[in-house]
Amino acid sequence: MTETTLTKKTFSFGDHFSEWLVAGVTLVALLAGWLYKSSVENRSVQFENSGINAQTPQGWHNLTPQGDEVLHVSDPLSSGFGTTYIVQRIPVEAGSVVGQAASLLTLQRGQQLTAYRVLDQKPVTVYGQAAYEMSYVFVESDPNLTHDKFPNIVHGLDYIYMSGDHVIVVTYWAEKHSYDYDLGRFQRFLRSLKF
Amino acid sequence: MPDHICSVCGKPAENKIKERWFCRDHFSSATHQRPHAWRGFVLLIVGLLVFVGLVYLLDAVFKPVLAGSALVWAGILMALVPAVVWMIFFYWQDRIEPEPKGYILAVFLLGGLLAAAIGTPLLESIFHVSKWLYADTAATIIGSILVVGFSQEFLKYAAVRYSIYRSVEFDEATDGVIYATAAGLGYATLLNIQFVVSNGGVDLGASVIRMAVVALAHASFASITGYFLGRAKFEQKPFWWMALGLTLAAIVNGLFNWLRGQVVSSRISLGSPSSNPWMGLLLATFLAVLTSGVILWLVQRDIRADLASEI
Repeated sequence: MTETTLTKKTFSFGDHFSEWLVAGVTLVALLAGWLYKSSVENRSVQFENSGINAQTPQGWHNLTPQGDEVLHVSDPLSSGFGTTYIVQRIPVEAGSVVGQAASLLTLQRGQQLTAYRVLDQKPVTVYGQAAYEMSYVFVESDPNLTHDKFPNIVHGLDYIYMSGDHVIVVTYWAEKHSYDYDLGRFQRFLRSLKF
Repeated sequence: MPDHICSVCGKPAENKIKERWFCRDHFSSATHQRPHAWRGFVLLIVGLLVFVGLVYLLDAVFKPVLAGSALVWAGILMALVPAVVWMIFFYWQDRIEPEPKGYILAVFLLGGLLAAAIGTPLLESIFHVSKWLYADTAATIIGSILVVGFSQEFLKYAAVRYSIYRSVEFDEATDGVIYATAAGLGYATLLNIQFVVSNGGVDLGASVIRMAVVALAHASFASITGYFLGRAKFEQKPFWWMALGLTLAAIVNGLFNWLRGQVVSSRISLGSPSSNPWMGLLLATFLAVLTSGVILWLVQRDIRADLASEI
């Protein structure tokens, strides 16, 4: 009998069980960690303003809404450009259709955002409500001249809803590399939106 | 056929330590204290502190202007220093009865490879820890233990358990600590290299502190697992022994991660958020001294008990 064979035999059933237990404990810890991660990411707070309410992510920075904005929140833990949700309530003339509102919004964004490009636009149904979807990109422009970082490429998504004499524009902005990962959370926000 | 075979080499056994049998040679090595290994660990701590002070001083005095690839290479060289310091001191102290250099280096590389191939992708691309781990104190502590601690400590454990552990070279209880430290330093070195490369080079003065902290911390966490591995090989331990060791290492890893965040960025400032990396170095040094002291005491106590129970 060789030395190697003998050495292998010195490992008992208990040793192998111990090995499997270590792997099992690690897997259970990672699974518990995954569930905890999901619970942290799903934490939300109730938001209500101008007849619009939704569940916004807990712990995000609540920025002061400007112009027609009723909500402007941003993720402080994002690296680079902070993932942002904006809800706007814009008055429109009676008889306006959602397509016109989308065209006006495109013109407005073209003036305000650097290197703005529309990637796709189409009418959609979002959780049972008719809406107009616009997907686009732009370059984040920090007006601070001392800002010494490369600008970020931001991927944006708008959902435009008609609501009486207003259009409701729900905006999602995220940096290119975190867009897909953060989209799931935005969809939960969208599902909770009532107006 | 002999009645009993040695747990290390498989040759006929004569002596027994708590249900495990050993030949004469391996009984002697299993109960050997190897003081050189401890001096190597203590010298790693001292050597790293001297290295940090030296780089910080040279950076402050000469203010070297490095850019591009020179800055990246300088950072990578600095990332390798903790492991080199440990190996030099370890072999200098251990020259009378050295562990095979090839095995130490292989376990070091395996620790680094597992970090690159599994550890970092798991934490960054699957768990996306940067997105939620620092949401609040509870998330930092629980996430750091369950996700960061367990994944990192399991990989260091695996680097030793599935390579050198069954070899005849793993013939002393202290070997668990030595090889696990090598795996921990491999893991830390890879993390430091990734930090340098992903930032396109780093400020030498500030980053040398971070690198020393990461190296001391990972070597300390791994040495906890190493102690449990060493005992598991030379004694018949209960089936939950090794799982307990890994859990302890993961808890220390997670708590250190949280505490380091607290001490490094706890100063209140009216300007931009300030940080004090020296506090992180102080904490890592304290952890390394405490861990090595406790493990040294445990190993000495165990060996005394083994000799007392010898047949």
